[in-house]
Amino acid sequence: MSADRRPLLLMTPAMIWLFGLMVVPCALILVLAFFRRGLYGGIEYTWTLENLALVFDPLYFQIFLKSAGIAGLSAAIACVLGYAAAYAIAAMPRRHQPMLLFFAVLPFWSNYLVRTYAWIVLLNREGLIVNLARWVGYEGELPQMLYSEQAVVIGLVYNYLPFVILSCYAPLSRLNPEVNEASRDLGASAWTTFRRVTLPMTVPGIATGFVFVFVLSIGNFVTPALLGGGQFQMIGNLVYAQFLTANDWPFGAALSMVLIAVMLGLLMGQAVMADRASGGKGARDG
Amino acid sequence: MAERHIFRLMLLILGVVFAFLYIPISVLVGLSFNDGGLPTAWTGFSTRWYGALLTNDDILKAAGNTLVVALFSTALSTVLGTLLAIGVEIRRRNGKWLETIIFAPMIIPDIVLAIALLSFFSLLGVKMGLHTIIVSHVVFNLAFVCAVVRARLKNFDWSIVEASGDLGASTFTTLRRVVVPVLMPAIIAGALLAFTLSVDEFIIAFFTAGAGRSSITLPMQIFAMIRFGVTPEINALATLVMAVSVVALALSQRLNKGELPGQ
Amino acid sequence: MTHPFLSIRNVSKTFGSVRAVTDLSLDIAENEFFALLGASGSGKTTLLRMLAGFEDLTDGDILLEGSSIAELTPNRRPLNLMFQSYALFPHMTVTQNIAYGLEMDRLPKAETAARVSEILDVIQLGHLAKRKPDQLSGGQRQRVALARALVKRPKVLLLDEPLGALDKKLRSEMQLELKRLQHEFGITFIVVTHDQEEALVMADRIAIMKDGALLQVGTPHEIYENPGTRFAADFIGVMNFLPVSRTADGFAARDGSQMMSRGNAAPAGTPFVAAVRPERLRVGGTGDNSLTGEITALAYHGLDLLVHISTAIADAPVIARMTADEADGNAPVVGRQVTASWSAKDTHIFPE
Ligand SMILES: Nc1ncnc2c1ncn2[C@@H]1O[C@H](COP(=O)(O)OP(=O)(O)O)[C@@H](O)[C@H]1O
Ligand SMILES: [Mg+2]
Repeated sequence: MSADRRPLLLMTPAMIWLFGLMVVPCALILVLAFFRRGLYGGIEYTWTLENLALVFDPLYFQIFLKSAGIAGLSAAIACVLGYAAAYAIAAMPRRHQPMLLFFAVLPFWSNYLVRTYAWIVLLNREGLIVNLARWVGYEGELPQMLYSEQAVVIGLVYNYLPFVILSCYAPLSRLNPEVNEASRDLGASAWTTFRRVTLPMTVPGIATGFVFVFVLSIGNFVTPALLGGGQFQMIGNLVYAQFLTANDWPFGAALSMVLIAVMLGLLMGQAVMADRASGGKGARDG
Repeated sequence: MAERHIFRLMLLILGVVFAFLYIPISVLVGLSFNDGGLPTAWTGFSTRWYGALLTNDDILKAAGNTLVVALFSTALSTVLGTLLAIGVEIRRRNGKWLETIIFAPMIIPDIVLAIALLSFFSLLGVKMGLHTIIVSHVVFNLAFVCAVVRARLKNFDWSIVEASGDLGASTFTTLRRVVVPVLMPAIIAGALLAFTLSVDEFIIAFFTAGAGRSSITLPMQIFAMIRFGVTPEINALATLVMAVSVVALALSQRLNKGELPGQ
Repeated sequence: MTHPFLSIRNVSKTFGSVRAVTDLSLDIAENEFFALLGASGSGKTTLLRMLAGFEDLTDGDILLEGSSIAELTPNRRPLNLMFQSYALFPHMTVTQNIAYGLEMDRLPKAETAARVSEILDVIQLGHLAKRKPDQLSGGQRQRVALARALVKRPKVLLLDEPLGALDKKLRSEMQLELKRLQHEFGITFIVVTHDQEEALVMADRIAIMKDGALLQVGTPHEIYENPGTRFAADFIGVMNFLPVSRTADGFAARDGSQMMSRGNAAPAGTPFVAAVRPERLRVGGTGDNSLTGEITALAYHGLDLLVHISTAIADAPVIARMTADEADGNAPVVGRQVTASWSAKDTHIFPE
């Protein structure tokens, strides 16, 4: 089979596509980040580290930190909610679990913009929550709910929660219930059993969920734009502005590069961790 | 016993989480059928907002664009992804870098690909429009098609390929008459998945559509509309979009017996 | 008044419409090695799980040293269970697994460490203390599970098919090992098994379970020599069954010959079988009862020889067990006609 070139022939068109439209463009960002910005928005082909240095300028770096903060908060909330939901699903009778899981994930399949928009409907000044408050007789001034940091966090949690439920459910459903019972039998309370047995055994699922929500949130551009309402910028919006309004491509590329580095670092760290978790199980009688 | 309290707590958690997941979209769907269109009061069931969509030229144009993008990118990615899957599975001993490149489009954050493609097209001086959206969508779509078809190929009986060759068929004939028909359910499932992803995709389309309104897709139109607030028409449009993607994905999953990559 | 150490009183358990345990009562003495013997699905695990606290009782009560434990959660019961699946904590080392129960008792660190290393010596796994369960063989895991339960020095140790997953050689070693440990620690053991040989080797007393109820409780000797029912007779050891019919003054075999028996009270109106153990048959000898037939097969079982005799008075071949000495003087040959006999006191009669 090794001398047979026909499989390679089948793969070639797709590989050319992926190479030309994914690998090269991504590499391009790396190069672009080291060029100088032209006077009127173009690119001047001289090497510089200025763009990269500018990323770490407090003015911009604090946007980075802020994005990381919001992404971290969203990921943490999503993990708490998602883990609780996955745990509850796994505690239900086995025959109901596939259906519960299906409905937990169903919203994930609908359009991201639509799901985000649903929160505008709920949170806006004439929205359902305000109406509800009036209806129960609340007359006072209501705080601005839409176009706030909280709204962005809610939106991110809402959009990515199903993913966390899935990633936490996987290890929870694989637990041997007798291991929990063994802990109870040896004198541990339900809470101690959760803390010392269930939780440690399901950390990989939580880590996967956290990393993905964090990565998808920190580079998010839609949710801050729609639910943050330009009140503040996240890194994705900053990048967007460099490419489409400020016309400072090299700086945009430098921002992207750092963003991609953070994302890749996390994703790879998570992959290594998942690998180690499953590798340990594979090696029997070693 | 304490265990019963724990079970009740679990039910409570499920109730809260499902309420959190479903109340927002339910409100949206409900409002889209509210005659008055406002969240302040229910003034009766009506489908007039859906009717209004049909007279909105911007939306119709955007929907048409989306269809074009989705159809072309699905067709291209189905062919490329299927061939890739077959090649990769015949070859088997694929290096780690190859697997990474095939897997990458599925996990790479949209924003990264979008920015990379935008700078790429701009630097090359490519005029952007529907065609750039199409070729960009093919990048991630072909990876998804490939994953779905590969899953099916994992328990594919390769001896029928040898049998076909033995009976005198050329490689191409074997592919066309034996391999592809056996894989058809997976290929259709992959194509449906690609179609849905393409219809729903916003960020890459937004970045690679170029200037002007001529190549606006439906998600871009929705984005533009909801930036300016809530209208009953968007409610109806959003409900429609949601229904279409859920139905298409459920169909795809049914066809492929519950195997969806990345889900 | 003294009360039994562990008293299971009229306990029932139903799962929906399945009756796993039905109105079961049993007293177990302190320091007893007790075996619950029964086929798969007879309710052994369910009974053990009720004792450990993992299943609510549908009915009845369980008393330990005179006070009810039925309402206590598993972590408050002074009983420990060794699970059929071992249920070791996969993320903890051998040491951490064993120490876990002692930490729950809030023992001082030094004492915990001392007791863990002591029990590691007992089970001879000191050199593997830092391994995780998935780096151990089946036999090693079994011993860790045992140590983890034993180190708590519970009042009662419940063992659910503790040797079920081991190969035959290891199993017979561990049977003696369990017996030794039980003696050394002075703890009441309740062992569940479906292997009658295992129960006979290890237990002080055996209870035979069937369909969620106890069929017979007694010492191995009592149950072996005096089985209460045909099921018990069949389940424990090897038994020959010969169909008999009721006559005016006793029982008759198929060929009409009189079948003398130990006088089991036999209700009228039902078909009967006579039962006799292989080692009670004397090939070529004379006795109260006898049969003749052709030798169809010979098989060695250890030093003993099992002689299969095809006879008109039973459907299956009758098996006689000869010691090496007996066989030496009078070697049986396949195909030859023989007579075998046995005494009335070794003949049990059961309703069919
Ligand atoms: N959790 C349960 N739900 C329903 N039926 C059960 C459950 N546990 C046991 N059973 C049923 O109870 C009976 C006894 O089972 P078990 O105690 O496991 O028997 P054993 O351990 O002797 O093999 C079986 O018919 C089994 O199917
Ligand atoms: Mg059992």
